[in-house]
Amino acid sequence: MAHQVHAYHMVDPSPWPLTGAVGALLLTSGLAIWMHFHDMTLLALGLILLLLTMYQWWRDIIREGTFQGHHTPPVQKGLRYGMILFITSEVFFFLGFFWAFYHASLAPTPELGGCWPPTGITPLDPFEVPLLNTAVLLASGVTVTWAHHSIMEGHRKEAIQSLALTILLGFYFTFLQAMEYYEAPFTIADGVYGSTFFVATGFHGLHVIIGSTFLAICLLRQVLYHFTSDHHFGFEAAAWYWHFVDVVWLFLYISIYWWGS
Amino acid sequence: MYYKFSGFTQKLTGSAPATAYNPQGLRASLPAESPTMIFATPTKVVSEAGATAEYMGANKVPDLQKLFQTSDGTPVHLKRGYPDRLLYRTTMALTIGGVAYCLVALYIAAQPNRK
Repeated sequence: MAHQVHAYHMVDPSPWPLTGAVGALLLTSGLAIWMHFHDMTLLALGLILLLLTMYQWWRDIIREGTFQGHHTPPVQKGLRYGMILFITSEVFFFLGFFWAFYHASLAPTPELGGCWPPTGITPLDPFEVPLLNTAVLLASGVTVTWAHHSIMEGHRKEAIQSLALTILLGFYFTFLQAMEYYEAPFTIADGVYGSTFFVATGFHGLHVIIGSTFLAICLLRQVLYHFTSDHHFGFEAAAWYWHFVDVVWLFLYISIYWWGS
Repeated sequence: MYYKFSGFTQKLTGSAPATAYNPQGLRASLPAESPTMIFATPTKVVSEAGATAEYMGANKVPDLQKLFQTSDGTPVHLKRGYPDRLLYRTTMALTIGGVAYCLVALYIAAQPNRK
């Protein structure tokens, strides 16, 4: 077997980019078919294909890094750049929804009654469940940092416990937010207030679920001894993503829940 | 009132007269002083504890590393053999089938609406 004279990772040929692209095709065309003909087959097929692709692609990355040793320092640096750039793109994604909120709320139109919150909207009390949600996410930021330090110091049991606590706090946030959605006196159809509220907080909630899932995978990998005290980038990426989710919530809380009420 | 020295509380306690005829110091089973009290053993670091009970399973990573580093030319997504092949073939079948289904569906959707 030929040995490489560089520290970079020449990946084995992989079918997952193709299956992922086809999955995206099926999701988008499936969405169009569902809207016109009320048939969810193509949409479901796309979703299944996307899930299969994600599972196998990321499984292979774990195999290449943890089991085959391909994640040398230059490779890890590239992975770090990648995660930072991805999170930056997500920041821009949320920036758009904040733009929409401030556009609507800084100069409320006469149709809304010239005021914010618009006439007829009873906003949620920011000092009730939303404040609890803020405390929950801030606490989860502390526990994930605790988990990181536990991993770096080689404390296996503590790392597992603090990581599990972080995930539980994430689930608690999602549960509380779901309850709020159910009990809210306004809906997404209630003008621009409803639209900006539910689209911004809804996408945030989706990111909390994604972040919790990422952390859960890290918990599984920690139990399986994948992480060492000085090489655990998968966990660091999950922690970065989790802190990003926390910061977006803080902006949401200040802007929409507090200033916007 | 007869007394004896309690080795447990390190104080004098009352006792029956019979003990006066069986002095404590002469009985091997009852020590005159209690053994030194130990409040806590120093906590052992896992690395020093050796092969004691593992927390949540044993470390299988070295075995997996050996498995995945066998130079048999198989790509990483098929390295585990049968389960990998099964999942790959299922995914590819859905991919190719999905493209075909998609093209047919889009062809039908593109037909003008004949009421």
